[in-house]
Amino acid sequence: MFPRPIQSMSPASKVAYKIALPVMLVLWLLPLLGVAMTSIRPSGDLAAGNYFGIPSRLAFDNYLTVFRNTDLERYLLNSFKVTIPTVIGAVGLSCLTGFALAIYKFKSNLILFFIFVAGNFVPSQILMVPVRDLTVSMGMYNTTMGLALFHIAFQTGFCTLFMRNFIKALPFELVEAARVEGVSEWQIFRHVVMPLMRPAIAALSVLVFTFIWNDFFWAMVLTTGAATQPITAGLNSLNGQWIAAWHLVSAGSILAALPPVLMFFLMQRHFIAGLTLGAVK
Amino acid sequence: MSPALQGLITIFIGVGGCLAYFYGSNIFLDKVLFPAKGIHAGRNINRANMVRPWLFLMPALLALGLYLAYPVVETFRLSLSERLPGGASQYVGFDNYRRMFAEDKFWEAMRNNLLWLLIVPAAATALGLLVAQLTDRIKWGSFAKSLIFMPMAISFVGAAVIFKLIYDARPADQNQIGILNALWLQFDGGFGSVLILRVLPALMFAGFAAVVGYAAYLVGRPIVKPAAHVVEGIALKLLRVVGAVLLSWVAVLSALNVIDSATLAMPYGEQQTWLTIPFWNNFFLMVVLIWIQTGFAMVILSAALRGIPEDTIEAAIIDGANPFQIFFKIKVPQIMNTIVVVWTTITIVVLKVFDIVFAMTNGQWETQVLANYMYDKLFRSNDWGVGSASAMIIMLLVTPILVWNVYNARKEMR
Repeated sequence: MFPRPIQSMSPASKVAYKIALPVMLVLWLLPLLGVAMTSIRPSGDLAAGNYFGIPSRLAFDNYLTVFRNTDLERYLLNSFKVTIPTVIGAVGLSCLTGFALAIYKFKSNLILFFIFVAGNFVPSQILMVPVRDLTVSMGMYNTTMGLALFHIAFQTGFCTLFMRNFIKALPFELVEAARVEGVSEWQIFRHVVMPLMRPAIAALSVLVFTFIWNDFFWAMVLTTGAATQPITAGLNSLNGQWIAAWHLVSAGSILAALPPVLMFFLMQRHFIAGLTLGAVK
Repeated sequence: MSPALQGLITIFIGVGGCLAYFYGSNIFLDKVLFPAKGIHAGRNINRANMVRPWLFLMPALLALGLYLAYPVVETFRLSLSERLPGGASQYVGFDNYRRMFAEDKFWEAMRNNLLWLLIVPAAATALGLLVAQLTDRIKWGSFAKSLIFMPMAISFVGAAVIFKLIYDARPADQNQIGILNALWLQFDGGFGSVLILRVLPALMFAGFAAVVGYAAYLVGRPIVKPAAHVVEGIALKLLRVVGAVLLSWVAVLSALNVIDSATLAMPYGEQQTWLTIPFWNNFFLMVVLIWIQTGFAMVILSAALRGIPEDTIEAAIIDGANPFQIFFKIKVPQIMNTIVVVWTTITIVVLKVFDIVFAMTNGQWETQVLANYMYDKLFRSNDWGVGSASAMIIMLLVTPILVWNVYNARKEMR
């Protein structure tokens, strides 16, 4: 191994180099640590002004209180009802569109691909009013289905871009060999390309899951009230209701963040692979 | 019926429907419409192959058309019209835009959006690059990376709520629950305070001014001293002039801030309601987005750093380059493309920023941004015309990035 640049530094900068990362880590995690600490602090501590000291006891009952006194479980359930169909729908659709754009050569192929790329960048604000009107006129305003349907349509742009680039990178000889063998196109898709797409599907699913779970804008535009709103909107209204009950708000925000964060830690490899592929290509 | 079961059935029907569509339509195409037998077998196979991609594309295209293409056109139409009572609308030309441009709140939103655009992508990319470099060759680097990346999994609203706790202020006679206020009250004007609150910000501003100034120099240099064998179009030259002027202006502004931050009177020992301090509260909101996006920048850039060929670095070391030179002159130029991609991706996020402002200040105390301004107009003042007009402005701002991205995708294809 050649001499690494870090070893040719002066001692002072070496120390600075080594300290910089821990400092940054602490700074980065401070907000989360603060919230986690506050969420297990009994309300008595908050009333007495013990904000940063050791909690007098670990009050995990804050989490129970949140569940008991609010519609949090409804909000959480709604989030799942929006997120899961969207992941399935958008990933499923984009497998097909990605396959079509990557494998077939036809005239408008490029133009179509650019439309998908461009659709990826259209700001959601410009869609807001018409989409709302559309959803109302389809009778799906304030339903989780309506929200999921829109998300599927909107995410398809990004997912197609992703899938097309992934399939394009696969060896085309596989498809050609299958064609020579007389395998039908549908069978090629199902038995040749699909099995190779598994890592892409995993990565994309994790990405779309977090995107949709964390969406707030469309939840505000297309739904209203605890019966249909997902957790992000729920958290916002919770925060408005309990302006001073920080231990409960903290517990609520941790609960809201838990599914995507868990997902992220369990599927970290896929998550990062997905982001890298989606951004660089 | 329980909602979970209902959901499962909907999913089943949806997925089953899709599969049935693709399977059925492919069969129909091959067996019924253009069967590959008889005298026209060859012609039929060709025709079937021309139609097939559209079978795969059709559902997605329909969805995109309904939810994307139509709304864009419709919003443009709405921005040129006014809703009359009873649901009808009337064409009013550019009246909505005129009314919007006459509003102070709109210009405030524009100014704030510009601030966000200047600072958030730059800060997130720079910090991401820094962390990527710091974690590059450390044993626990990947662990540190996943911790820094974690905020990326938290929703903007969740992050906003978390940061509200940090910025919270209590009346003076109580203990402060907000971490920032608790820290702030530690400062008493002594040596430590001077070091952290005056010297450090002054240095940061000076550093920022230097970087921006250097960028202005790089952008502007070819105007004065054109490089040999490169001929630039008039449009590019104009762009260079505008860019150089803008960048130098930012550099001068931040240089002025060096003096400001060194001389500003500081209200030591008083708790601050951080989110209501005009102008500066924008920065407190930006911190939230930087906190989230740095992880993204770091992941992408660290993958790019890994991809740099070792021998270029080796050669630089043998030639006696110091670590800074290696970083700025060897590594950064090689990953410039990725940096630009990260930058533009974050820029788009910033242009659409809504959740954070909505949840933290709702545009009060001069923190309005375009997306929230538009939401305000539509849902609070019920002014559809002006709301749509401001949406068009956001679209207009995104368009250059969009075109640039499509252009790049095209270039890659060749």
